[in-house]
Amino acid sequence: MIPRKTCYHLSLCFLNSSTVLNKSHSIRVAKSRGFTRMVTKLFVCPHCRTQMSFKGNPGERLQVICPKCGKKGIASIPTGQTKTTSEPIGDAIEIKNLTKYYRKIKGVEDLTFSVKKGEIFGFLGPNGAGKTTAIRTLLGYLRPTAGNAYIFGKNIRNAIVDIRRNVGYVPGDLNLYNHLTGKQFLNYFMSLRNTNASLLEELLKIFEVPLERKIKGYSKGMKQKLGIIQAFMDDPELVIMDEPTSGLDPLLQQSFYEFLRKEKDRGRTIFFSSHVLSEVDKICDRVGIIRDGTLVALEDIETLKKKLGKVIKVKIQEKPETFEGPEDMKIKDGWIEFVATDHVDYWIKKLANYTIIDLEINKFSLEDIFIHYYEEEAT
Amino acid sequence: MFPFKIALQTMKEYRKIALIVTLLFMGIVAMYSGMYPAFKDYMIEMMESGFAEGFSFFRGAEDMGSYIGFLNIELYQIFWILILGILVGFISASLISKEIEGKTIDLFMSNPVSRKQIVFEKYLGLIPMILIINIATLVTIYGITLAINEEINPVYLVMTHAASIPYFLAIMSIGLLVSVIIDEKMKASIIMISIVVGMFIFESISLMVPDYESMGYISLTHYYNPYGILKAGEVDGAGIVVLIVISIICLILAMLYFERRDIPIS
Repeated sequence: MIPRKTCYHLSLCFLNSSTVLNKSHSIRVAKSRGFTRMVTKLFVCPHCRTQMSFKGNPGERLQVICPKCGKKGIASIPTGQTKTTSEPIGDAIEIKNLTKYYRKIKGVEDLTFSVKKGEIFGFLGPNGAGKTTAIRTLLGYLRPTAGNAYIFGKNIRNAIVDIRRNVGYVPGDLNLYNHLTGKQFLNYFMSLRNTNASLLEELLKIFEVPLERKIKGYSKGMKQKLGIIQAFMDDPELVIMDEPTSGLDPLLQQSFYEFLRKEKDRGRTIFFSSHVLSEVDKICDRVGIIRDGTLVALEDIETLKKKLGKVIKVKIQEKPETFEGPEDMKIKDGWIEFVATDHVDYWIKKLANYTIIDLEINKFSLEDIFIHYYEEEAT
Repeated sequence: MFPFKIALQTMKEYRKIALIVTLLFMGIVAMYSGMYPAFKDYMIEMMESGFAEGFSFFRGAEDMGSYIGFLNIELYQIFWILILGILVGFISASLISKEIEGKTIDLFMSNPVSRKQIVFEKYLGLIPMILIINIATLVTIYGITLAINEEINPVYLVMTHAASIPYFLAIMSIGLLVSVIIDEKMKASIIMISIVVGMFIFESISLMVPDYESMGYISLTHYYNPYGILKAGEVDGAGIVVLIVISIICLILAMLYFERRDIPIS
């Protein structure tokens, strides 16, 4: 028998640790019943941090023994959302519990979100948050540790070549064949795709590159332009880009945004990662914010801003501490700062009792949102 | 439309190297076979004095005095089996690793090509180089032989070169396998060179020391004997089969491994 206390503790930890990791360890399942719709779940032992996987039915509780430290415990398989059989259609990208670990180092964990057809989706996060890992897993460069992803309804695990016919990609760390000229490079890539370069001329007008010159002599910006051209030239349904505007000058960035909007109007889907918030604010319909490998927000930019309310900054004659603001109120350099969700009227009336020296009411900027989500982690 | 675009691109990429190596080998071959008349008497004298015993780690060393024996040692054993083997190993080991190290693989793989296809076509793309070097060398040897009034059986000569192709294909396959496993180009190439040289040394030891004869079996050079073919037209059929089987197995392993591995970012 397992001591009751250990059992409780383990099950709690297992439940909290959500999905994970590599298949290097598979745990001995001490008890199992007839499975109908088995799913594989990956967990971390709360004692020795060993990663393990095991199979079971959703909702089932299994007695497990950690292969390393030998501790016993109970692990529950989450119910719902773990269906691996259904292949959704309709969304351009559908990511379900996608997890990628590099041995024991977390890349991304339990990502679940979708990108609708015809939208521009911004994938936000600071450096090292897992944006590139997510994109590279999605495009088949990295094998997912767990979870699934579908692009136009096709599973990335078994139809990646087929998927790539309809998907353009601009890598974050763009490296081209230096020994080829721009033209040779584009011709080579066109020949591999077996379609028409229907957008090539238009792209070359926006992004001028010295096609006759060897890529070796290109500047960073020129290379980036060529990278963008090759991604869009055969007019794919979806283009995935990893920080595409790095290396582009501000003027070119503007034409690029314009081009993206035009593509969107033509029904194309754009998915790109960025840490430049202003550009995401400018062109994206929706954003996903990733922090430490996990998705922390997924929303319409406008809804996100509305939901988070207004930032009220006020300076009063009286001692700032005398004002009874909401819990998250901050006092800095004599300024009282807090967020008002839906209750602007209430706070203004309350403030009316004080002598106001200065007052600012602002919408949440994407920067604020970003900081908001990142500060949450610290607290 | 030509279906093997990646193979074609690989060929284009290596055409300069192929040309340089071809010219180099033509030059070396012309020099050695052209030199034979000047060495002839000296060589025969040397053979009589038991000089060849020191070369017993080469197959056919006992016949160094004759034109064919001379060609075998100076050209086929050293420049063909060893030097060209190293060169082919070096290039094949860099085929995939240089794309991973240079990170060009990312954009390359964004095209609708499977990983297996990439490995296979890169392999295909290197074969023309082997063929061209073979044909150019063969023609040069025959031309020089006629010019210096020596005798060589043209059929045996063609057979010697044809039988060397499976040997190089096997080296390419092993090189490619190293290439998909090791991410750094130089490291992969150096490992491959060590493998080729190591195999040559193993075979040499097995020839010198009868007790270690079985050691030669793990060496590719054991399965290709230019002296036997050139002298008497004796082709080691089983050896060719072994080389081809090794080529196929290593190529398949390379394809499977590459299919399953992660492509790292840095």
